[in-house]
Amino acid sequence: MIPAFRLELRRGAMLVIWVSVVSMAYAGFIMLFYPTMIENAAAFEQMLEVYPKELMAAFGINGSLFDPGTFINSYVFQFLWPLVAAVAGIILATRVAADADSGFLDLPLSSRLPRVRYLGASIVAQIASLAVIAALTIGSIVAVDLLIEPDFDTGRLALAGFHAFAMAAAIAGVSSALAVILLDRGKAGGLAAGILILMYLLNVIAQLSPDFKETARLSAFHYFDLSEVIDTGVYPVVDTTIFLVTAALGWLLALWVFRRRDLAA
Amino acid sequence: MTDVIEAVGLTKWYGKRRGIIDVDFTVGQGEVFGFLGPNGAGKTTTIRLLLGFLRPSGGHSAVLGHDSWLDAPRAHDGLAYVSSEPAYLGQLTAGEQLDYMARLRGLRSGAWRQIAERLELDPTVQVRKLSRGNRQKVGVVQAFMGEEPLLIMDEPTSGLDPLMQREFLTMVSEVRAAGRTIFLSSHNLPEVERACDRVGIIREGRLVDVSTVSDLQASHWRSVNLVLNGPPPPDLFDLPNVEVVSAAARDVHLMVQGDVNPLLRRIATIDVGDVSISTLEIEDVFLRLYEGDGTSADLEVAR
Repeated sequence: MIPAFRLELRRGAMLVIWVSVVSMAYAGFIMLFYPTMIENAAAFEQMLEVYPKELMAAFGINGSLFDPGTFINSYVFQFLWPLVAAVAGIILATRVAADADSGFLDLPLSSRLPRVRYLGASIVAQIASLAVIAALTIGSIVAVDLLIEPDFDTGRLALAGFHAFAMAAAIAGVSSALAVILLDRGKAGGLAAGILILMYLLNVIAQLSPDFKETARLSAFHYFDLSEVIDTGVYPVVDTTIFLVTAALGWLLALWVFRRRDLAA
Repeated sequence: MTDVIEAVGLTKWYGKRRGIIDVDFTVGQGEVFGFLGPNGAGKTTTIRLLLGFLRPSGGHSAVLGHDSWLDAPRAHDGLAYVSSEPAYLGQLTAGEQLDYMARLRGLRSGAWRQIAERLELDPTVQVRKLSRGNRQKVGVVQAFMGEEPLLIMDEPTSGLDPLMQREFLTMVSEVRAAGRTIFLSSHNLPEVERACDRVGIIREGRLVDVSTVSDLQASHWRSVNLVLNGPPPPDLFDLPNVEVVSAAARDVHLMVQGDVNPLLRRIATIDVGDVSISTLEIEDVFLRLYEGDGTSADLEVAR
């Protein structure tokens, strides 16, 4: 299992590096603007009053942008992180389908390594890769925080990072299950991305229209608001649990299906 | 002789599409078993069933005494496998790829070096930069680098140059001498003739014959092309196992089935400018058989 795990890490290294670089650069760059926003709070407040509250909420701005939580949540976790999590989670999780299609999967699976342990190694590599991306993204925020005023609570940022990781893990878990069921990277990745886009739209519609408010519960984005944990330190335990359970169910389903499905030529 | 591979009523349907139907055979320890058939006949499906990559629709197979589907990892513990078009990771070098497979099989790192040198494979080149033949060499090295009691090879020499094909046959004979077993799928009849003890022939998903190589040699066709220096006597090629395909001026194309000696004796009686005798590819043999009616084709193959 160790050779398979190491190879999976190696294969994902370039993706992890580039996604992390983009995520760190964006998060760090946005953080540099926070002092400017604080300094010009009155002007920004005046400008933001022009936008309807529902529209602001639809795009993750719930509260004052001058609160650290709302600022980081809106600009980093609502905008950047879903893209990062989707790209990394889907690409890493659907590799098994690509390997089946290319025939590479035949090589490790003709060895003494059981199917479940092979896919298990891949899943552990997914978890490690997503954890690194989340940690580096939070790390860049913390690093920039050392340069600016006011200071943010590093512990709360770390908690936010864990919740962000949990969200990415849920995407990877579901994508893994789709990849193993369909054994077609294009279909599995497309379906996972499609589900995410639908969920995003569902969340936006629910914010804009009171009639659809309850449907927001069907969207992953409903459970992904980090402003409170950053501002108050109150951790979204239920939301994280939902993400982690979704991830675990996805991965378990993937393992169960992979153990017994045909790997056609 | 202990059965290393056993297939009993092995059947696979892909929905309504035929894979293989009721395939029965055994391969004994120390045997080199050739598995012949044209493309699409069911060779790869059979191998994937033996490896436990596919769940049988009916029947069962066992490798080294372990059920191929239910107990695949234990069966895999004693085998090395190379596919017809090995899909290696382009970003790895051949050596890294082979080390990866060696570690998965419990071999030491670098266990492949001796075989790689023998096949003149440069292990430092990235797989994506290797020619098709060199990628196939990686597969052959991978198959031979361990000491597993069973080697399953699916058209391992496709893409190899003649020198490497000869080296491959030498390695097969060494493995056989060591008492190890080889299951060799191919549609290259001469290769199978040289390497194998017994041969199974699969056609349209059904195993139509399992025979020794000498039996197969006695039954398969060769193509004989003659350039004559003068007109041949009228009944010169009138032999029971000879068929005149074409006779234009002094160029004569014959097909001979089995023993060529009677024909050679007849040819020796006339003035011949040139002669060539070639063995048909298995696909050509099957094409000839398909040209007849189904019943006679079965009989020809099964003989």
